[in-house]
Amino acid sequence: MDAHAKHEGPLPPLWHYGETEHDPISTKTLGFWLYMLSDALIFAGLFAAYGVLDQPMNAAGGPGIAKIVHPVAAFWQTIAVLSSVLAYSLATVALKTGNRNGVLAGIIAAIVLGIIFVGLEFADFASLFAIGATPDTSGMLSAFYILVATHGLHMMFGILWMLVLIPQIFLSGFNTAVVTRLLNLRLFWQFQASVWVCVYVFVYLRGTIQ
Amino acid sequence: MLRKHAAWLAAALPVAGCGTEYRLFHPAGPVANSELHFTVLNTAVMLVIIIPTTILTMVFALRYRKSRQAAYDPSFSHSLVLELLMWGVPLVITVILTFCTYASVFAVNPADPTSLDNQADPGAVAPPLNVDVITTDWQWIFIYPDQHIATIDDLVVPAGRTVRLRLSSATVTNDFYIPQVAPMIDVMPGMVTHDAFRVNRAGAYEGFSADFSGAGFSWMQFSTRIFSPADFSAWVAKTQAAPDHLDYARFLQIAQPTINETAAPHYFSNVGPNLFADVDMAVMDGKVFPVPADLDAKGPYPTPTLGKQDEVKSGT
Amino acid sequence: MFVQLQGAWSPLFGRLTLDSIPYSNPIIIFAFAFSVIAGLAVVIPVLYYGKVGYIFREWICSVDHKKIGVMYIILGLVMLFRGFVDGMMIRTQQVMADGPHSPGFLEAQHGYIPPSHFDQIYSSHGTLMILFAATPILTGLGNVIVPLQIGARDMAFPRMNAISLWLTVMGAMLVMASLFIGDFSDAGWVGLTPLTELPYSPSVGVDYWMWAIQISSIGTTLNAINIITTIIGMRAPGMRWDRLPIFTWTTLSTSIIGLTAFPILGVALALLGADRYLGTHFYTAGLGGNLMLYTDLFWIWGHPEVYFLVLPAFGILSEVIPTFSEKPLFGYITMVAATFAIAGISWSVWLHHFFTMGAGPMVNTFFSVATMLVGIPTGVKVFNWILTMYRGRITYTTPMLWSVGALLLLLIGGLTGVMLANPAINYTVHNSVFVIAHFHCMVLLIAFTIFAAIIYWFPKVFGFTLDEHNGKMFFWTFCIATTVVFTAMFTLGFEGETRRLDYLYDPDWMPMLIVEEIGIGFYCLSVFYFFRMLYVSIRDREKNRCGADPWGTARTLEWLTHSPVPFYNFAVTPQVHELDELAWRRANNCEALMPETYDPIHMPKNSMVPIIIGVFAFGFGFGMVWRIWWMAGFSLLAIIATVIISSFTPDPGYTITAEEMRRLEERKEPPGIVADSHIPRPMAEERIV
Repeated sequence: MDAHAKHEGPLPPLWHYGETEHDPISTKTLGFWLYMLSDALIFAGLFAAYGVLDQPMNAAGGPGIAKIVHPVAAFWQTIAVLSSVLAYSLATVALKTGNRNGVLAGIIAAIVLGIIFVGLEFADFASLFAIGATPDTSGMLSAFYILVATHGLHMMFGILWMLVLIPQIFLSGFNTAVVTRLLNLRLFWQFQASVWVCVYVFVYLRGTIQ
Repeated sequence: MLRKHAAWLAAALPVAGCGTEYRLFHPAGPVANSELHFTVLNTAVMLVIIIPTTILTMVFALRYRKSRQAAYDPSFSHSLVLELLMWGVPLVITVILTFCTYASVFAVNPADPTSLDNQADPGAVAPPLNVDVITTDWQWIFIYPDQHIATIDDLVVPAGRTVRLRLSSATVTNDFYIPQVAPMIDVMPGMVTHDAFRVNRAGAYEGFSADFSGAGFSWMQFSTRIFSPADFSAWVAKTQAAPDHLDYARFLQIAQPTINETAAPHYFSNVGPNLFADVDMAVMDGKVFPVPADLDAKGPYPTPTLGKQDEVKSGT
Repeated sequence: MFVQLQGAWSPLFGRLTLDSIPYSNPIIIFAFAFSVIAGLAVVIPVLYYGKVGYIFREWICSVDHKKIGVMYIILGLVMLFRGFVDGMMIRTQQVMADGPHSPGFLEAQHGYIPPSHFDQIYSSHGTLMILFAATPILTGLGNVIVPLQIGARDMAFPRMNAISLWLTVMGAMLVMASLFIGDFSDAGWVGLTPLTELPYSPSVGVDYWMWAIQISSIGTTLNAINIITTIIGMRAPGMRWDRLPIFTWTTLSTSIIGLTAFPILGVALALLGADRYLGTHFYTAGLGGNLMLYTDLFWIWGHPEVYFLVLPAFGILSEVIPTFSEKPLFGYITMVAATFAIAGISWSVWLHHFFTMGAGPMVNTFFSVATMLVGIPTGVKVFNWILTMYRGRITYTTPMLWSVGALLLLLIGGLTGVMLANPAINYTVHNSVFVIAHFHCMVLLIAFTIFAAIIYWFPKVFGFTLDEHNGKMFFWTFCIATTVVFTAMFTLGFEGETRRLDYLYDPDWMPMLIVEEIGIGFYCLSVFYFFRMLYVSIRDREKNRCGADPWGTARTLEWLTHSPVPFYNFAVTPQVHELDELAWRRANNCEALMPETYDPIHMPKNSMVPIIIGVFAFGFGFGMVWRIWWMAGFSLLAIIATVIISSFTPDPGYTITAEEMRRLEERKEPPGIVADSHIPRPMAEERIV
């Protein structure tokens, strides 16, 4: 273990010939996990802000969380996002056998369900705007909107990613790059569903009982 | 090496700081005394590690130069005993400092410093003087709710009596700081903080804001004058006859962005009883005093909107 | 839109008007002239020698980690210079504006800078020094050195590496733009609320500050992902975790901090942005906002950030000191443990930045104890460095001088840091110049190690050594300056002077302010010696050409390959046998042995995508600052479109054959960073529109 000690006997090989193969898919996936760690911390910061601004005085005389969350309506959003993840996961199962139609069917179903999720969220926000519960009403509402909308924005980026992948599957088939993106998107999509579960529990369910 | 001399100089300077400009070494009250006590204690404990380490650094750096031909041992790169010492001794020092911290933090806690509770001191049992403090952009307003008077930029208190302050801001965060007198505390809009101090001898000190609050920040000094009890009563009586009154409407005028360049004081009588609470509630309801974007491109600065008064020294 | 703005807004130009350009401010006009002349001094020779294409293809579009690292360092040094000029202006204003009878010049009542300009100067001083000087230089050093130290050919994601660089550059360009178009934030580099809310900071200054930091933070986070993946996945065979060079270990822990902490800064600033753009109430004093939320979120990032800066500095010390003591680093395993202990504990200390906010005795005690605990692994590191020097054979080259200076600064900074960790002391010196002096000791020790690292690794990257005499003059003048300025500043802290004052009301402070100004004079002298060192070294570069190991006693893998490093790093990947591999090879007389045969290698192509993304990022930032919605929207869509379109043509890279490898390795003229311009690197063929 000592760099200054002389080595006994003949020297071991000094060079490693032949290209050192670093598996590109696992490298890119490790990078993507690290990105998701940073994304998780973004949500951690937003949940922290929400937790701080969740006190009665943060409603500043306006509607409190209990008045603006509709857990039953949001439950349909939960169904939508979880089914979307299920559809996409089935797509990656089809990927194992190289079944292109199966993959495309799963992705399209995931897209449709994702759009339903985002649509339900827009409708919810529209109804809240109609009763005057806008983000600039109070700190509590600001925190609610930004937390939920940040998740919604991530969902929209995921849908865009799926839409971009469809022509790539047609153009390049299941080459390394496309497979890497499909696998990373699965990670991303499942992560967004997990964040939604936290949002649903912490904001919608807990908000109702306050 | 020059750095060696500089290190000793740096250590010697504060010790040589007997001049009164070294405010932190000339505490004027029990809380400031307590702060200095813990400063010295904490530093002394730390120096137990820092001084030998500095000496060792310089000795090794000089002694093991190639030209000095001292002992050379390239295989000396780990030692369990030394590792245990270097993790262990600082850990022990940290434990000692933790006890110091725990003792100190209650002694100087701005909300209720226990260093003011020394029963031998008559000031500890006398009823405290209540002062409400509001900061604006960029002046200090001191309200005496029990005496129904108020001042701008002049904190006058009697010697030997504890002063209990409630602090809030009408605009942005400031920091209440009278170096020799009171522990520092943030002054925040929409929130109320508390501070307390006592000075047993008459004197005059300078207070200011330590948390940057905007263009007029450099002029947020306020004088702190400690009067004997008799002089204080006389001052209160005189101020209760001041021509200017401070109600909420008047407050809205003086709270407009103002750079009080000479920190000229101003006095009010007939102060509304709930002014502090009213200002706090107004801020929580969204009251702001916007700063004009083109403020202060050059002097002279906006003068206090105080009108013609006896004790005003108009700044420009 | 959504919020009340002071001043005009038009759909085409947003808040931008002709009045936004400070024609009448002589200081800014001078700065503009200086910048133009400095820019021309670079641009005109490039045009004259016909190097525009070379610069674009080989540097701006480069995905080579060494070139990217060099560009990071150049950006950092330029911003360091501007930050220094800001610091000089601050000191000069304060010495001129002490006391009610101090004279005023150039539109100022006292001194020569009116308050809001002074406030912008110290805000840009802090922002530039921390985020656009120290961070890029340390990032650049990691970029250049870490792949070499682990025996890799490049980073895991070369193109993303370039994107990180350009995002950081564009953030810095936004800060530079604020000097000439509009103004910068006057609320400090921290930007506490509610001062940074619209009513109290109505101009675009805070918006410039916010977007510059947001854009460059994305770059930093991406870079962290890159480094961590590289260190985990791309080490040479035999490079086990217990053989990893210590600088790589510190870079790994730094990147973990960067990856996890910078998102919190992003959230803190994004919520402030929501307040300023959408009228929300996250941090306002009224309507249910909580201004302390910003302080907490900012400092939850802010404290890990300072360890993000100081851990690479510690890594540099751990490389330089063993090299010039001809001894292995003492206590390698505990050094690594201490590094991760520091990184971990740094997450739990943030409240010590605002003890005075009134959290109460129990909370304050917890954070005080946590802060003191961080001092323990730091102390372990200091002891290990001293014990490395013990019974070594020390040669005082310039890097070693800088390192010993850094050690002494660390001792003073650490002492004052533990003092500040005690709330009782903190209540007397919070926001006073005592705190300024403390953290300047720490950031100056980072600067000392940066200079040590640049001088240490310069020969490896560029193939010739820097002039020692001028280097030592640079060191000594800088050292004297630091001692003079900060001894005076600690003294002023005990005299009760607080920070961020444009006008100082107490004439008692004058003697120490004059002492500080004398110190600034020494800093100016040190800048002169720095430039002279560069000039003499470049002028005499043929005389000072060096081989793979210019210092003779280096210990780690990067010194095994040529100087300057060829673009492929190692011709054949080395097999690693020991910690301090090069020292082991030297002890076994095989450090000069070359591989007998060569294999074809695969390299990534250069790409235009990163600079395109960078330019649009600047457009997005500028558009958002001035609320030119069409510019911001178009730039954002363009970035997304660029990413999507470039994903349709992934880079297959290119292969260098074995014969070409032999020819490259055995040619006479030196290879690498600047000299191999005659070996053009292929460009990727993205179809952008």
